[in-house]
Amino acid sequence: MSLRRWLIQLYPRPWRERYADEFEVLLEECLHSPLDVFDIMLGALDAHLEVPYELNWRLMNMVNKLRTSILIVFASYIGFVIGGMSLYGLADDSPMADLMKTRTDISLLASWIIIEVGAVIALLAVVIGGLPIAWTVIRRALTTSRQDFGLLLIPVFALLALILYDGFIVSIGLGLVHIPGIIPEVSPDNFPIGNRLVIAGKMLVFVLGAIASTAAVWKIIMHSSLEENALNIPGRTKPMKIYEYAFTLSVVTSLAMLLVLVATAAWGGSSYSALPQVFAENRGLLLTNTTGSFIFTLVVMSVSTFVAFFGVVRGYLARKPAA
Amino acid sequence: MNLVDFGRFSDPALLILASLADGPKHGYGMMMDIEMMTGMRLGAGTLYGALARLESSGLIKPLAVKDRRHPYQLTTKGAAALREQLSLLQKLASAGLKRLAGT
Repeated sequence: MSLRRWLIQLYPRPWRERYADEFEVLLEECLHSPLDVFDIMLGALDAHLEVPYELNWRLMNMVNKLRTSILIVFASYIGFVIGGMSLYGLADDSPMADLMKTRTDISLLASWIIIEVGAVIALLAVVIGGLPIAWTVIRRALTTSRQDFGLLLIPVFALLALILYDGFIVSIGLGLVHIPGIIPEVSPDNFPIGNRLVIAGKMLVFVLGAIASTAAVWKIIMHSSLEENALNIPGRTKPMKIYEYAFTLSVVTSLAMLLVLVATAAWGGSSYSALPQVFAENRGLLLTNTTGSFIFTLVVMSVSTFVAFFGVVRGYLARKPAA
Repeated sequence: MNLVDFGRFSDPALLILASLADGPKHGYGMMMDIEMMTGMRLGAGTLYGALARLESSGLIKPLAVKDRRHPYQLTTKGAAALREQLSLLQKLASAGLKRLAGT
């Protein structure tokens, strides 16, 4: 163990969890003499003796963990939505959709309804839980932080990119745009919408936009100190801290994701029993094999749900008072 | 907020607040700035002892990590505390200098 690491180990754990990384960087630059070592040892002793400050560090650590947990659930929800879009692509305009429309297979229809209900609950929980944070962050960004304002524009640009992409494809389809050698002239027979490359392009724009937007939201929230902000909830005598509120809703989101995941597995099972031949065809994502595409969807949804529950457990443990 | 509550860290805390008065800085940046301003070099243990107290009192706040370093910024409460401490010191300095001049 290096001297730097050893000196950092002298500090109490809550202090290390908060400051160890940046303190180590500082020590790389300014640990020169025995006096420096003595000063750090004195600082460590002081950190052990100052109980009120240790409690404050615990509190700060709790807030940090709770905030990260909320963001983990949010990021996993975005991943889950990408999986959900793949499922929608699989089901839309498929023989399974025909069976559901004609209500010939009740288990198929029931599982699909559960998927839709779960998706709505998850979306509502994200929106309702995220609105107070979003509102506070937007207000602050507009008044005080230019950097946050720039980051807030990323989701807007991501949406614009998606709209522009659609507009571009439609204009190719209408013959308004054609670049000889790159974009051939089109006729009504080779309209590009539905083309594998066009769908792949749209998915790429969507996924990149979703990743960039999630990263921007993550960055904004991580350096916003909103722990003092509270909300008045009807039926509660005391105002609820904004992170506590968002965390409660993130539990609802995670449970709804689990519900959708289970219903998706059931829907896949019912689809396979009713129409096994479809699973051998290429009706999946980007016209790939249906079975492969469905497994991909399930894997994305399962990983997202697992990560969301990891976030929930982490947040729950952070809120639990230390014994 | 009275920095006297910080005990032996009250002077380093004031130096940190003064260093952050012209914009955010990370630990090493503050150390260098304080050395330039006052000729005093704060040890890493003293710097972080004061810095942790300032943060937990809400007088400074961390910004996003840059190259493994955490820059800190004065909060509104921190700027008010710094202003209060500096005017107190200014009053003390002018009263002391007047008395010295009278002797």
